[in-house]
Amino acid sequence: MLKKTLQAFAAVILIWTGAAAPAMADAARDNLKIVGSSTVYPFATVVAEQFGKTSGFKTPVIESTGSGGGFKLFCAGVGVEHPDITNASRRIKPSEMDTCAANGVNEIVEVKIGYDGIVLANSRKAPPLKLTRRDMYLALARQVPDPSGAQKVVPNPYKTWKEINPALPASKIEVLGPPPTSGTRDAFVELVMEHGAESYDWIKALKKSDEKQFKAISQTVREDGAYIEAGENDNLIVQKLEANPKAAGIFGFSFLDQNVDKIQGAVVENVSPTFEAIADGSYPVSRPLFFYIKKAHVGRIPGIAEYVKEFSSEKAWGPDGYLADKGLIPMPDAERKQMAADVARMKTLAKDALK
Amino acid sequence: METATEQRTLFTKEEIGVTTPEDSKPQHRPEKTLPADRAQDKPAPTVGKPFVDNPRMACRHVNVFYGDKHAIRDVSLDIGRNQVIAMIGPSGCGKSTFIRCLNRMNDTIEGCRVTGEILLDGQNIYARQVDVVPLRAQVGMVFQKPNPFPKSIYDNVAYGPKIHGLARNRAELDEIVETSLQRAGLWDEVKDRLSHAGTSLSGGQQQRLCIARTIAVGPEVILMDEPCSALDPIATGKIEELIDELRRQYSIAIVTHSMQQAARVSQRTAYFHLGDLIEVGRTEQIFTTPRHKLTQDYITGRFG
Amino acid sequence: MNNGKPKTIEIVQRSLVRRYRAERRFRRMGLGAIVLSLVFLGFLFASIVGNGYTALFQTQVQLDISFDPETFATGELANADYPRLIKEALYKAFPQVTARGERRALTGLVSSGAAFQLRQMVLADRSLIGTRRSIWLPADDDVDMLVKGHLSRQAGRLSEAQLAWIGQLQSQGKLAKHFNWTLFTAGDSREPELAGILGAVVGSFYTLLVTLALSFPLGVATAVYLEEFAPRSRWTDLIEVNINNLAAVPSIVFGLLGLAVFLGAFGMPRSAPVVGGMVLTLMTLPTIIIASRAALQAVPPSIRDAALGVGASKMQMILHHVLPLALPGMLTGTIIGMARALGETAPLLMIGMVAFIVDIPGGFTDPATVLPVQIYLWADSPERAFVERTAAATLALLAFLIVMNGLAVVLRRRFERRW
Ligand SMILES: Nc1ncnc2c1ncn2[C@@H]1O[C@H](COP(=O)(O)OP(=O)(O)OP(=O)(O)O)[C@@H](O)[C@H]1O
Ligand SMILES: [Mg+2]
Repeated sequence: MLKKTLQAFAAVILIWTGAAAPAMADAARDNLKIVGSSTVYPFATVVAEQFGKTSGFKTPVIESTGSGGGFKLFCAGVGVEHPDITNASRRIKPSEMDTCAANGVNEIVEVKIGYDGIVLANSRKAPPLKLTRRDMYLALARQVPDPSGAQKVVPNPYKTWKEINPALPASKIEVLGPPPTSGTRDAFVELVMEHGAESYDWIKALKKSDEKQFKAISQTVREDGAYIEAGENDNLIVQKLEANPKAAGIFGFSFLDQNVDKIQGAVVENVSPTFEAIADGSYPVSRPLFFYIKKAHVGRIPGIAEYVKEFSSEKAWGPDGYLADKGLIPMPDAERKQMAADVARMKTLAKDALK
Repeated sequence: METATEQRTLFTKEEIGVTTPEDSKPQHRPEKTLPADRAQDKPAPTVGKPFVDNPRMACRHVNVFYGDKHAIRDVSLDIGRNQVIAMIGPSGCGKSTFIRCLNRMNDTIEGCRVTGEILLDGQNIYARQVDVVPLRAQVGMVFQKPNPFPKSIYDNVAYGPKIHGLARNRAELDEIVETSLQRAGLWDEVKDRLSHAGTSLSGGQQQRLCIARTIAVGPEVILMDEPCSALDPIATGKIEELIDELRRQYSIAIVTHSMQQAARVSQRTAYFHLGDLIEVGRTEQIFTTPRHKLTQDYITGRFG
Repeated sequence: MNNGKPKTIEIVQRSLVRRYRAERRFRRMGLGAIVLSLVFLGFLFASIVGNGYTALFQTQVQLDISFDPETFATGELANADYPRLIKEALYKAFPQVTARGERRALTGLVSSGAAFQLRQMVLADRSLIGTRRSIWLPADDDVDMLVKGHLSRQAGRLSEAQLAWIGQLQSQGKLAKHFNWTLFTAGDSREPELAGILGAVVGSFYTLLVTLALSFPLGVATAVYLEEFAPRSRWTDLIEVNINNLAAVPSIVFGLLGLAVFLGAFGMPRSAPVVGGMVLTLMTLPTIIIASRAALQAVPPSIRDAALGVGASKMQMILHHVLPLALPGMLTGTIIGMARALGETAPLLMIGMVAFIVDIPGGFTDPATVLPVQIYLWADSPERAFVERTAAATLALLAFLIVMNGLAVVLRRRFERRW
């Protein structure tokens, strides 16, 4: 019995090492590999699934690695072991293009797919918040301008919203948000905190004179308990907000969209975070989303062109497309059309365009 | 199952860790090294006739150390052909230690070192090139504590013949198992339940099973470490008969605490005391006219 | 014994009360601990089952689909306009709906996967073309959530008109909950009503098979060598210390190692169960080795003596006597290691197994994910309907674990009965 078991194991191992080695050596890949931003992930996956079901190609494999991690993998080289496409919730940086070029990834096609709004939301059981970006900055930065008006920063003294702005409720500041590793957090810092800080002229001036100081003032989130890192799981934040109507949470628009019965988005500078407001650009806290194609793989890995075509079709990213159902905010008609045309030609990205 | 687990916990207490490759184990040091506490104390000289003509096994200047403990001190003794030698002595005097040297079972004990020479038919069994596997097939052993395999009664007895390839087919194997069990006086008790676990037998039955297991291999020298300590007089009688019968072909060394048994089964007797071999001689002579004071005290029950 | 001194029995009697009291106290404490852990376990199970059982059912809509030959006129069955069949059926069922926006809202009640279901039906059976069939099709996840009571009518995710249509369908008996086979037969999907755990289960199976096939023999062989053959030296001590340390290393480190060695140096494919299995092997090996060594040490030395005494060689002693006795203990260690491997996501993240993978893996090198990763991905999805599916997938993970443990118990019994 024992002997037989041992023999069986030995056989299995032999077969494995024997069979696995050549299978790996010849590594023609028949499915697309896509990496990158967790914000784009929910949209890319929908397209991938649709593509897999209708095209006859295998469904692409999509990993959520974060925008930065995605570029790192994407720029590592050309060949079947490297991904074909990377998603990003920001534009590629010139430094990343340099890395790409250094590894032989010279031709990159940039595709902008639409916008994502970032919302501050609270439970429907509480009255909706009406804020400005400056209010949010003052509520969440570690250091804020001295309330007396002097041109220096003090550790954030605000405990309630009312202390910041008399029009706001007297409830405690309690915001649940993503950790620093998250793209949503990056976007929030950039679009809300920095902007809020820049509303003070003397801080704005710092940006030129002392960038380090400017970053410290504008980008550091307070750690005294008013901002609570709630993990990457946005569903969890929604649940916590339901349980605690006094708290607010930060997340992407798609989560607000899916949970409108439980939470409501804060009005920012008199604009509600609605689909339409983000689409027409009137809601201030939104960012474009992208994906990047490795042109050298087009034609070598089957299905890239077809996948991109599916993504840039009206039934996907149009105002009535299935991505809109998932919460992606489409680009204006003209921009969309232009982008679709550029993508069809596989127009490569020039480094100068990034400036 | 029950007995097995019991036995397991019981034994693990004195369990010995990692064993080392058998060949590299014993180191031969001709010079005597004595531990500090007994450095002045010279090994006692042996009284009587430790040697015989044409011995089966011959031990010369054997010393055994457990780490620092000097358990056997300069013992020289012959095991004669076709005879039984009994080893007696107070508990802890080194009988088991000595008898275990004769088929190199001490190799498995970590920290145990054997010096001197032990010859089997003129060949030093502690020599480098000697393979312990055939040695132990030739020199079989019954241990002090019954240790049947946790397998069926049949498999216990059949194991040795199987690994050595002594039976060409199942019928021959059955034959060996049956005769071995019969000779060990166990056959009538177990013939209907050969497939039951060996560990399910009583202590005395287990000991007889171990004897059957040993003789199934057909060794030429049999070492028995108190084989009858757990047996009733009837079983003891059967074993003694067996020993007497085996003696015609084989050489036997038996450790016993029973003076009567030693007197009944053995032709020669060796008396050990605190690691020393005090006296050796013909059994009648040892029991009737012991020459050494210690021997005398021991056999007359004045010891201690 | 006499002359004034208390008798032994008296002393024993006196201490007896104390001894029994201590015993009772200990027993009560043990019982308390068990009850407490059972309560926690019960609570955990109740909450998972409570959240997850609704995922076993899926709301479906019954539609009269007419497989209009015109739709298939092009001859390309695979690319026919199946969504139109559904739209037509809906428009027919609700003739009063004519405005474009309203019609869109109406078609939104049915899952986008319904069209694929029709496609598969037609591809399997061409004779459907030209006939009219009444077919149950999956409803959209919002409808499903509403029917299951997870979504309030005031939520705003469904319009007044849609609510009215749902009411109408319900009163006609054309909207009902059916057993959710999809959950067990499909791979991942971004549409909750189309998502299933099969892909992850198969991925877990392949991954663990590799892990078991590598880690058990390697672990046992290592333990046997270290315990029975290795000479005691500084080297073996060093190895031993390192193995013990490895058992405490955070699992993500093994993922990094796998990334560097298996993907980097050996050029093995990303997201493949064979690599996942190898990474998890690295993780489980120390556990198996340590457990196996303990099991070997627990084999009574008298058994070894007995085997050596009849002339067994060292290898025979180990194979015939020591290993069978140690095997139950080794299996226990293996199961603990495998159970841990089953629940891991962190090391797999590094080698690309945390990914959206729809196709069900067909082999050891196909892209695959595993059950805990599927749970993690679903828990992170915005769609409400994934909440219950997350719980259902957790149940599946537990079931997988129970099956695995059950198998180990059976195996252990088999080996234990031998002695
Ligand atoms: N493995 C061991 N390690 C260390 N010392 C040991 C070991 N085995 C035996 N000894 C010691 O060696 C001496 C001789 O032991 P041995 O077992 O040979 O005695 P014995 O004569 O067989 O006694 P008994 O009649 O009680 O069986 C004792 O003092 C014992 O403590
Ligand atoms: Mg003894």
